[in-house]
Amino acid sequence: MLRALSRSPAPVVSLLSPRAAVLVETVRGRKSRTDPKAKSKLGRIKTPPPVDPGEMVVLKQRYTEYSLILRALRLEFKEQMLRKKYEEEVGSVAEERAKREEEEHRSLMALNDAENLRMREIREQRMQQEAEAAELKKRDADILRQQELENYIKEKERHILLLQEEAKDFITPENLDQRIEEALDNPKNYNFAIDKEGRVVKRTAFQR
Amino acid sequence: MVHLSSFLLKKYHGGHVVIRLALGGATNRPFYRIVAAYNKRARDSKYIEQLGSYDPLPNIHNEKLVAFNYERIKYWIACGAHTTKPVAKLLGLAGFFPLHPMTITEAERRQKAASVEEVKADSQEQVEEALSMDQNL
Repeated sequence: MLRALSRSPAPVVSLLSPRAAVLVETVRGRKSRTDPKAKSKLGRIKTPPPVDPGEMVVLKQRYTEYSLILRALRLEFKEQMLRKKYEEEVGSVAEERAKREEEEHRSLMALNDAENLRMREIREQRMQQEAEAAELKKRDADILRQQELENYIKEKERHILLLQEEAKDFITPENLDQRIEEALDNPKNYNFAIDKEGRVVKRTAFQR
Repeated sequence: MVHLSSFLLKKYHGGHVVIRLALGGATNRPFYRIVAAYNKRARDSKYIEQLGSYDPLPNIHNEKLVAFNYERIKYWIACGAHTTKPVAKLLGLAGFFPLHPMTITEAERRQKAASVEEVKADSQEQVEEALSMDQNL
């Protein structure tokens, strides 16, 4: 009797095992085209709701008036909107806006220029100061280098003098014989101990 | 930025904009939003713009509150939006539109029914008085 409707919210049951005659819950128009009329509705004659002709005439008049007014309203609103749009884009509003924007632009540019000038001055001062500082540093470095050089030269000269002094005690081929004789004549005894404080100990354990 | 098309990312064929009531609220507590939406959309689904609200249940002071954004309603009507019957009736009562014919007709019907009831009640009283007088006599 009932076809499985695609709009039924309940899950579709297989055709072999219908659980109940009614599968769907509340879906409009649950009867298909071929289903017979219900027994309680066999003698029913459907009539439209009753209409009062006098009232209908008045109502029709009212409706025509109403639709007329509504149409007029719609056209008026449309015109207003178009005018506003036109004003906005082309007319006075647009001009005022352009003027305002130009003024704003000019003022902003002026601000920007002033700022740039100020920053430039500050920057130039800073660069000057930095240049001076760098120069001072360079001069100091030069002086230091000079001094270092002088120190170095002095040190080397001292070394040379010392070496010259020591050169007098060197053993040369001429002194050789004489020095050998001297060394053999004066034997030196290195058999002593010394600690960190510099105390000398001449007597050691292995003395014979 | 992605340019969103004016049809809210869906292409409609022959659809139009409507100003209608979208139902919200809870069980046994309806609340309507007056909304400009496409005709083909579901009643409560995505709309273009909300233009007001309507609370059908009266409040403590026995008032039913309605809100309208007249500027935007004017804009949408100028763009060719239709209105549904209840919205038209509400706007008529608010004074923005002329009064809807059915509002007037319903009011007349109610008045007539009330007057008929009165007449019937009066005639019934008269009949009862006459009966009691007869009984006394």
